[in-house]
Amino acid sequence: MKEKFDTLITAKSNPFKLNLKETAKYKDLVWLFVQRDFKTKYKQTILGPLWFIIQPLLTTFVFTVVFGMIAKLSTDGVPQFLFYLAGNVPWMFFSTSLVHASTTFHDNARLFGRVYFPRIITPVSTVITCFFNFLIQFIMFVIIDLCFVFTGAGANVTLYALLTPVLIAELGILGTGVGIIISSLTVKYRDLQVLVGFGTQLWMYLSAVVYSVSSIENTTLKTVIMLNPVTPVIEFMRAGWLGVGTTSWLYLGISFAVTVLTAFFGVVIFNKTEKNFMDKI
Amino acid sequence: MEREVAVRIQGLKKEYRLGVISGGTLQRDVQSLWARIRKKEDPNTKVGSENYRKNEKFTALDDINLTVYKGERLGIIGKNGAGKSTLLKLISRITSPTAGAIGINGRVSSMLEVGTGFHGELTGRENIYLNGAILGMTKAEVNGKIDKIIEFSEIERFIDTPAKRYSSGMYVKLAFSVAAHLDSEIMIMDEVLAVGDSAFQKKCLGKMGDVSREEGRTILYVSHNMDTIRRLCDRCIVLDKGKITFDGEVEKAIELYSGV
Repeated sequence: MKEKFDTLITAKSNPFKLNLKETAKYKDLVWLFVQRDFKTKYKQTILGPLWFIIQPLLTTFVFTVVFGMIAKLSTDGVPQFLFYLAGNVPWMFFSTSLVHASTTFHDNARLFGRVYFPRIITPVSTVITCFFNFLIQFIMFVIIDLCFVFTGAGANVTLYALLTPVLIAELGILGTGVGIIISSLTVKYRDLQVLVGFGTQLWMYLSAVVYSVSSIENTTLKTVIMLNPVTPVIEFMRAGWLGVGTTSWLYLGISFAVTVLTAFFGVVIFNKTEKNFMDKI
Repeated sequence: MEREVAVRIQGLKKEYRLGVISGGTLQRDVQSLWARIRKKEDPNTKVGSENYRKNEKFTALDDINLTVYKGERLGIIGKNGAGKSTLLKLISRITSPTAGAIGINGRVSSMLEVGTGFHGELTGRENIYLNGAILGMTKAEVNGKIDKIIEFSEIERFIDTPAKRYSSGMYVKLAFSVAAHLDSEIMIMDEVLAVGDSAFQKKCLGKMGDVSREEGRTILYVSHNMDTIRRLCDRCIVLDKGKITFDGEVEKAIELYSGV
């Protein structure tokens, strides 16, 4: 059309175009979604927000028993509980971001079918919710960690700890990126939904959460595990807060590159899907 | 004087594919693709379903051309399946057209179903903020209107009670009053007034008419209730099988539609 309009809807659109200006107008909605998720999650529970802390403590406790006490895996001389907690907390941030983003279209089908708002708002708000959960857990971890450090129980905080914000941002972007790709594909292929649950479980075992990379003797296997973009992040986190870990800048660089590509591909496929998904789901 | 255009639609077309969209699983799609590559028969095609083969399409809207001017209250009527809801969904960007274009001046809010995005665990007040934001208001805008919204909804007493304890009538009243206080220049409504008691319905119709006349807002309204169309609209189109068959006076449109 020749005239100028505020909004022009056509059959074709550019999936590379990010509607940042429009999305920015909805920033209040992001916060309201985050608030809603927090307010409603633990309503009518007795322990309430304490669950944020109980969850990682319980899983770490199980890891300590199974992998530390029974399997006797090496933790590079760091107290077992602390070692597993340091891997588990960032991993849980990654996996919850992935799982929650992966159901975006499916969970919001009703809402998306009635009202228009930039769809990317929903995964963005879920990753922010996951981040706040993580923050609470991470503060708990730092307190426990410092107790170990000051009592001289075999853990050291190093300068690598300064990388934490970058590493966490990377985990969030990577998790959400993979999540929205799965979410976009599950509009058509429901199989992937089944895969997400145990897929993330398997991914964890390839991510050096319950063992350290330095304890892997087979070099090929070591390379494969380091190529997993989550592994270098967890190793650097451990290097920062415990003083042990394989700090390879090469593999961290690869991990960043994979994250950027995943995020880019995720946004493109998400933009393509959101246009017509109501006709398919 | 030339009137300001609110919505201009040109050559709009929407097609849906008939039958099963795909195998639904990756395995089946790969199977079908492999069969096509080898020029063999697709193992996932049902016997006798030849005419449902791909490219079989249903045209929900066909070559729609329409211009709505600022401040108009346009009624859209037609039988089930005529394409009314599809048209509103396209204008409100819930799905995208197969061909053609829609140009819009101003903000659009769609009230395709009241109470979308309400959360039962949140209180009425919290839901007003959430619902307002979903419909495109900022927090500051809701802040400025919250007293009016609560008053209009007639449920002041229960505003800090979780919405899951509301009766369905209260739910609808609250949802509608949020939508009625939106600032958008163009409002799209699909059967929203079919709910609520008749007194509240009248109040809502009055409110919509007022905002349109006083503030020059444009309203696109779909309904099967001719009475509400008569009361609200000042122009009406009739849709039949995806085409506009009449465009003009409300009474004539209703006459045509009722087959008098």
